[in-house]
Order: sequence, then structure tokens, then C-alpha cells
Amino acid sequence: MKISKLLLLALLLLPVAVIFFINDGNSNTLESPDEVVNVYTSRHYDADEYLYEEFTKETGIKVNIISGKGSALIERLKAEGVNSPGDVLFTVDAGNLANFQNQGFLQQINSEKIKEVVPKELRGENNEWVAVAKRARVIFYNPELVTESEIKDINYEDLKNEIWDGRIVIRSSSNMYNQSLVASLISNLGIEQTENWAKKLVENFARKPQGNDRSQIMALANKEASIAIANTYYIGIMLSGKGGEEQLAAAKKVKIAFPNQKNRGAHINISGGGILKHAPNKENAEKFLEFLLSEKAQTHIVNNTFEYPVLSTVKPHPIINNFGEFKMDKTSVADFGKFNPDAVKLMDRVNWQ
Amino acid sequence: MFNINKLSIWHSFIFLVATIFLIPILIIGGSIFLGFSDNFYHLYENLLFEYSFNSIALVFGVSCLVTIIGVTTAWLVTFFNFSGKNFFQWALILPLAVPPYLLAYVFTEFFDYSGTANNFLRSLLSTESDIVFFPNIRTIYGAIAIFSFTLYPYVYMVSRVALMNIQPSLIEASKLLGRNSISTFFYLLIPIIRPAIIAGVSLVAMETLSDFGAVQHFAIPTFTTGIFRTWTGLYDLNTALQLSTILIIVIFCFFAIEKNSRNKIRYDNSTTSKNSYKPIHLKKFQNVAAFLVCLIPVFIGFFLPVLELINWSIQVENIFSPKAAIAASNTLYVSVIATILICFITLITNFTVRSFGMSQLINDILSLGYAVPGLILAVGITKMFTSLDSLLINFNTFITGSILGLILAYIIKTYAISNNVLNSAYTSIPISLDESAKTLGTEKISLLKTIHIPMLKTGLITAFLLVIAELIKELPATLILRPFNFDTLAVSVYLLASEERMFEAAFPGLMIIIFGLIPIYFLNKLILRENG
Amino acid sequence: MDRTNKFLDVKNIHLSFDNKDLEIIILRNLNLKVKEGDFVAITGASGSGKTSLLRAICGLETPNEGQIILDNSIIFNKEVSIPTEKRNIGLVIQEKVLFPHMNTRQNIEFGISKSKNRSELSSDIMKKLKIQKLSEKYPHQLSGGESQRVALARSIVMRPKLLLLDEPFSGLDTELKTTIYPAIKTILEENNITCLMVTHDLEEVKALADKLLKLESGKLLEI
Repeated sequence: MKISKLLLLALLLLPVAVIFFINDGNSNTLESPDEVVNVYTSRHYDADEYLYEEFTKETGIKVNIISGKGSALIERLKAEGVNSPGDVLFTVDAGNLANFQNQGFLQQINSEKIKEVVPKELRGENNEWVAVAKRARVIFYNPELVTESEIKDINYEDLKNEIWDGRIVIRSSSNMYNQSLVASLISNLGIEQTENWAKKLVENFARKPQGNDRSQIMALANKEASIAIANTYYIGIMLSGKGGEEQLAAAKKVKIAFPNQKNRGAHINISGGGILKHAPNKENAEKFLEFLLSEKAQTHIVNNTFEYPVLSTVKPHPIINNFGEFKMDKTSVADFGKFNPDAVKLMDRVNWQ
Repeated sequence: MFNINKLSIWHSFIFLVATIFLIPILIIGGSIFLGFSDNFYHLYENLLFEYSFNSIALVFGVSCLVTIIGVTTAWLVTFFNFSGKNFFQWALILPLAVPPYLLAYVFTEFFDYSGTANNFLRSLLSTESDIVFFPNIRTIYGAIAIFSFTLYPYVYMVSRVALMNIQPSLIEASKLLGRNSISTFFYLLIPIIRPAIIAGVSLVAMETLSDFGAVQHFAIPTFTTGIFRTWTGLYDLNTALQLSTILIIVIFCFFAIEKNSRNKIRYDNSTTSKNSYKPIHLKKFQNVAAFLVCLIPVFIGFFLPVLELINWSIQVENIFSPKAAIAASNTLYVSVIATILICFITLITNFTVRSFGMSQLINDILSLGYAVPGLILAVGITKMFTSLDSLLINFNTFITGSILGLILAYIIKTYAISNNVLNSAYTSIPISLDESAKTLGTEKISLLKTIHIPMLKTGLITAFLLVIAELIKELPATLILRPFNFDTLAVSVYLLASEERMFEAAFPGLMIIIFGLIPIYFLNKLILRENG
Repeated sequence: MDRTNKFLDVKNIHLSFDNKDLEIIILRNLNLKVKEGDFVAITGASGSGKTSLLRAICGLETPNEGQIILDNSIIFNKEVSIPTEKRNIGLVIQEKVLFPHMNTRQNIEFGISKSKNRSELSSDIMKKLKIQKLSEKYPHQLSGGESQRVALARSIVMRPKLLLLDEPFSGLDTELKTTIYPAIKTILEENNITCLMVTHDLEEVKALADKLLKLESGKLLEI
């Protein structure tokens, strides 16, 4: 009788045992005895692998990657609390960075080297994070459907005009890039004017927002619309052939117009990084960020993800460079985070889906 | 349920399980009491109406369409002989292997400007121009079609079983009273199998409301996309939970309807004679019509997407990439563990109910999880774990982001499935068997081990297969709860599809379908065997 | 003269089925002629094929060979087999086959739903079989005897050309039977409905039938 009861107990505890066995991989023993840096990233570009490898080659510091969506990273950081092994946060869009900052997950970056390279408007207010690369959110157009006079000196604000009725495509408001664009408009124009603009913009949509930035560019090639708003690096990817034949053909059919060249400049956003608050390997974290701003890393970035460099001595990829120089908006990207909640609600109010 | 004398390890174990199951649900419901943030009011004013309208429209449209498709095909296949009938009998279930989000991705690409459909028509009409023949599919009508063609098998299966269980003499009576086949169908068969239809449609409604991948891809604002957006975009977990509560209430209504109807079925329809109705031979026009009616849903819901996915996979350079292999092994790893666990828990629970007189209510409680959409469950579990972690931090460990969350979600979601199977498998073991075993001095555990388990073998295998089929397809919960760097096949497909890299998503998509087919094959065999 | 003699004319019916390698013959070269308005009883050992014969006549089974003519139209032969629903032949069996989702009145009106005066017709037949009180009740609320009466009413109200009864009264108690027999007989005679009844009960035969036949070795013999 006793033996069978024991057996039963063992049997019932089996699932519990299994579970704890599996969870072993989740305790705070991420590090190996060697030097490491633990990077929490929400970038999903395969090209980043090279950066991590090169960093290890140069410094001997092993890079551990935790990748996931921003919200998941935040929940994880919350859960890990003061024992979090995370050293570096690496993500896209200043709005996202601001979120981590606001919830207290980042600490000040003190490296002089970094502050030298990165201009003020591309850093957090108290250097909680810095830009590592730039991208512009610009206007693409199909020259067969748009006249020179229409596109010359165009501003974002002009997109509310009636001449663009049924001719604009852009992705959903749930995407952070759009939210940051709207946030920057709020920062420059105020809520009321921006809302007015957004309302009319939505009325000019050629179709319900769907798909990602690449989708919008494809729509131009298919003549579904005349202009699209998308990030500059997409055209780089498409023209390089990395996206396939169809995308290459489509990319050839469109041109870029940099908005607001006669005033504040085209809207810029960033890929950026920061040091996590409880980083156990703070020095290595700093080294990693410095590496990202080194010439080697910057060159790799511009050549693979087709972003704009932060380091002034590095040139953008030829494909991107071909579009020419343009005036970049110097609005502090930190504002994107600041005005993000307002932006989202505004977009909802005007029914930008 | 609460007899102190009979409380034992068994009971404690089950109570523990039940508590763990209920906590996420309670957390979700409890969010209502934590006050409403700005975001909630904002949503209320601007988006709630749209979410509700779209959700209702979806459910209504899909319900109508799956009823038409499911009941008609079940009727044709049960009562008539026509070309391809033997094939369609089992083939009509195939679309179950294609999760709605996958069909949504495939069809978007298929009907796209440069997709197969348009290209095909262009070459057919030998035109070089860029005409687009097919309208944009990313609308609510497109969504209704997608859900209908992947989910109709639920209605098909229940209708078929119900129809097969109708006494042939009833149908003969109708004929003798002058009603032809069609009149018999509408005035006799449909009213009789109505509880089955309602049960099937309720299930479909629940699945439709729970979906996230398809509606997001189609840019249709519904509750699920709103919940996802609120959390990942606005970083507001609490409001997301509050939205979830609203959706859960609606889904629970369907859940209750489904259960209610299913009980009715058992009550009304017991057939004493094992005679099956002799099928009527269809000729010429009717034959062709029946063939087409059955062909269309199977083609659209299964063959078309599969062919297209194969077409895309071979155009990609390295389909056997390490990434795909890892995704596959991840999928199997977590699904198998969860499935074994749930079968184990279900077995123990049913055994305790049977042998220790525990109330059947426990099964109902544990089955509630089925009604909670994966997305919402994930959000609830996240909150649950982060709260727990504030305690666990003292032990230098934490569970948020570990695979535990995912496994827990999987178990909660699928208890109902394994219970359905094991519960009815258990009812076929007469109590008298237990009693005679007892008089022979058998201990409780041995009873389980030596008598029940061997007799439940088929049931256990069926439960295992059904659960794992469900888990391999799962997307929303996996998306949110998966540990970092842990992608399953479903997640891979989702990520690639949202980047419009459909060609690369094709092979993982095919793997999902293949895994989903194996259980369907067995499921079909078992259904047909049990019903003569 | 000849016509009414062969209101129902069953010729050379051969009914068999294959069970693996064996051919099992149920009806062999069976002939049957029934006069219009007649009430013919058929008896025979269990399994002798009585039920199959009835089912063949009303079209629920298809003979391998033979011919069936009803009221001068061919309802079955080598080329043609009129579907059951068009034969206007009623069949009442022992098994309970009332439609469970309909009450008594709806069950009875099922076959005459196109008639304009269907409620009168159904009320009338219910009165004759003394089941008016059951009009709103559902099959699961009816006793065995009540169900059978409803089943009979349902078939008879259609005024079928031929009514087939397959041991419809077995399982009812004797007292009930003696009340029903005259009612049935009257209704059938009033409407000139020809009837074929399978039974084991000789009292029943005496009370209702004009003629008695026995089904043996697949053939019918007069008694």
C-alpha cells in the first residue's frame, strides 16, 4: 500500500519535475565564465549577426542575444527586475527607445567617445540612449502618375490637399514609424493642426492601410496609388535585388521625393541602443555601443540594412546615396517618444486604421 | 465535491491544476476592477464600435456560409452516390489542416496584383497589360470567405455524424409521405440535426472571434487586433486585459450555446438499428452538381493553398534552411511536452471523477480555457507570471518569458479537447467493471494501470493526436509567450508573412499543414469506424 | 372486370442479395394480385421475406427482376423504378417512426402540407382514430398505442392508393386492439383504400382481412 502511494506521488509530481527541468534554462545564468555582453534586441535584420560576430572578433567579448518584440522585452525586463542580466538594448525607432526610458530601464551613457560621434538631437535627453543609424520616412512616387509641379518642394503638410484625393498609400497607424512621424508633426505643429492634417490625409487614402512599407511601394508600381510614405532603406533593399525579382522591378518604377526641404527637413528616425539599468557588464555594454558607432560597424550597417550612418565619415550605400543629399529634420527624436501617446490617440480619432 | 474524508493526493493534485488554470482567467476578468485608464476611454470613444461591428459581421457571415457548406456537403456525402463521393467523404475534412491565418496569407498573395490568379487570367486572355481582374481580397468579405473555407469542416463533421445517426426508417417515412430528397432535407433532416449544426457553428464562431493572424493581415480592426495593438503599441497591459474581458464574455456565450446543444444531441438522437440508409445514385446533371458542390470547398480550403505553397517553396533558394528545421523542432518539442502533460492531467482528472466520486463539474471548469482566445490567455498569463516573479525573485529565478508560460497556455487551451475524447472513452467502460475489480481486491492505482489504461488506449491516442494537431497550428499565444529566439513554425510563417516575404513562408507553412494532416487522417478513420 | 382484379399486380418478383460468395434469395418468382379495395393479410415464418415484399412494393427495396403495376401504371420493371415518394403508397411499421421534432398534428399533416384544407383533414382523421387529445403532444410523450395510431393517421390521411401494414399492432394490448380494428376497417372502406397487412395474429386476420396468404420459400400461397 505504501509503495503504491509513493509511486502515485512520484507520478503526480512528474509534470512538475518536467516543468522545472525545462525552466532551468531561464534562470539567471546566462553568462559563461568568459567576458560577455547580453544584448536585448528587437531588430529582426539578419545582417546584425555579422555585427555581433565582428564585435567578438575584435574584443573577445561574447555576445548573447535575446530578441523579441518591444513589448515582450519590456515584460521580460520587468520580470527580471534588479537581477536582469541584460546589458544592452538595441532597437529601432526613437519612440520605442523612449518607452524603455520612461519605464526606467535605461541608464545614462557617459562615454565621451559616443557623445562625440552622435549629435545631440539623436540622443535621449539625458543620454539614456543614442542613435546608431538613421532612416528617413519620405515620399515615394510613381513618375507616370505625378507631375513635376505636384511633387516639387512637397511637404508632409501638403498631403492633406485635395489634389491627392485617392492617391496616397501608407501603412497602418499601429506601426511605430507612422506614430513617430505624427509625433514629430505634433512637436512642430501642435495637436490641433496635426489632427486636421491627419483627418484630411486619411480621406486621401487610395486604400485601407494594409501591408508594410514594401507593400506601399509595390502599390505604386501597380499604379494603385500615386504616392506612398515609406522608409528609405526599403528602396535600398528592393533595388539591391535582395527582395527578389518582383520587388526589384517595382522599385525601378518609383522615385523619391524628400519632403520639407524648404523648411525643417525630412523626418528622420533612428536605430538606437542604450545601456540597461542593471547591466552586470556595463563596461562591455559601452564597448558594444562604441563598436556600433565604429567605422567598420557603420559601414556594415549602411551596406546591409541600407540605413544612413551616424558617423559622418561613412558614406551611405551607393544605391541610397544616388538619391542625393537632403536636408534632415533636426527635431529631437526624443520628442517622438514624448508625443507618442498623443499621436496614437490622434490617429485613432481620425480613423487612421 | 468536498468530502473531507475522501480528500486525497488525487484531489489535491486536481485542485492545484484547476487553480492554475483559473488564475489567468481571473486575472483577465479582474482587470475590470483595477480602474480604466485614459487609453480605455479613448478606445471606447473611437474604436470599440468598429471592433464590435466587425466582429459581429464576421461571425454572422461566417456562420451562414459554414452552415451552407458544411450541412450540404454532409448531406450529399451521406445519402447519395456520385462521382468522387468516396474521396470527398474524408477529403472534406482536409481544410482543418490549414489554419485561417495561413489561408489568409496564401490568398492575399494569390489574388495580389502580380499573384497567380491575375497572372493566370492574363495569360489565358493573352494580354500584356496590367489589368487586375480580382478585387482586393483584404476586406471583410474576404475574411468571411477565408474563415468559412477553413472552418466549415467542424460543421461538416458534426452534421455528418448526426445524419448518419438518424434512423433510416424516419427518412423512409418521409419518402412514403410523398416528400422527395430535398424536401426531406429541409423539413426533416435539418430540424433533427439542428442541435448538431448549432454546436458546430458555435465552435466556428469561437474560432473566428479568437483569430488574430488572419484579421490582422487583412487589416480588419477587431477585438483581437485591438488587444494586440493596445499591448504592443500602447504598452498598456491592463487596458488590453479589459478589452479581453469583453471578448471573453461574448465567446463564453457561444461556448455555453455549444455545450447546451451538444447535450441535446445525445438526448434526442439514439438509434437502435445499425442499418444505414441506402444511398441514392445520382446521374448526369445531379451527379455533376454534387461533385462540384463538394469539390469547391475542398479545393479552395485545401488543395489550392497547398499547391500554391508548393509552387512558392520550389522557387525559394534554400528551403531546408537551418531556421526552418529549428522552427520545426521547436514546434514539436513544445507541442509534444504540452500534449503529454495534458493527456496525463485529463486522465487523472477523469479517473478521480469516476473512482472517487468527484463532481463532473471539475471537467467543466477545466474546459473553460478552451473558450479563451489564445491571444488573451497569453496576455493573462504574462500578467500572472510577472506578478509571481515579484515573489520568485527571492529565489533568483523568474518564469516570465520561459517556456512555462507557453506550455501553460497550451494546456489550458486544450483541456477541453482531450477531455471530450477521454470522457466519452471512459463512459464506454462500464462501472460494473470497476466494481468487480474492487471486489477482487484491486487497489485504485492498479485499477487505473491495469484495467483502465489498456481499455482507454484508443481514446488516449486520439486525444494525443487531436491536441497536438491543435497546438501545431497555434499562433497568437505562441507569438506572445514564446521564449526569446524560440520560433515555432506558426510564428515563422507569421513573421515572414507580415514582411511580405510569403515565398519564404511557404515551406514552414507546408510543414504546418503536413503535421496537421496526420491527426486528421486518424481522426477521420476513427469517426467512420465508430459510426459503421 | 380485369382491371379491378389487378389493382395491385406483382409479377415474377425476384429479390436476393449477395453475402460474400453466397446469393441469399428472399423472394423467388413471387406473384400477387390484389383487387381494389381488398384487405389482404400475409403471414409466414419469421425471416420469410414478408417485410422485404412490402418494402419492394413501396420502393424501399429494389427487386432484381419482375414487375409491379399499381392502378394500371407500371411502378417497377426492368427499365423503370418510380421513386418511393411518387408511388403514393403508405407504409406503417412496428417501429416508432414519428418525427421527433413535430407534434401529432404536424406529423399527420406532413404528407398533405400542400393541401389547402389540411387542418380539416387532420382533425377528421384524429377524431376517427380517437386521438384528438394528442394533437399538440410530441412523440416522446406518447404511449406505444398512441404512437401507432398517430402513425396510421399520418399514412391514411394521405389517401394512399395502397396501404401496407407491417405488424403495426403487435405490442399493443388486446383491449386497445379491439377498439382500433373497427375504426381502421371503416376508414379504409370509406376511402376505398386497398390494404396489404403482414401479421402473425389470426384474430387480427379475422377482424380485418378479406383474404389470407402465406409467404413460404419466397412464394405466396393461398389459405
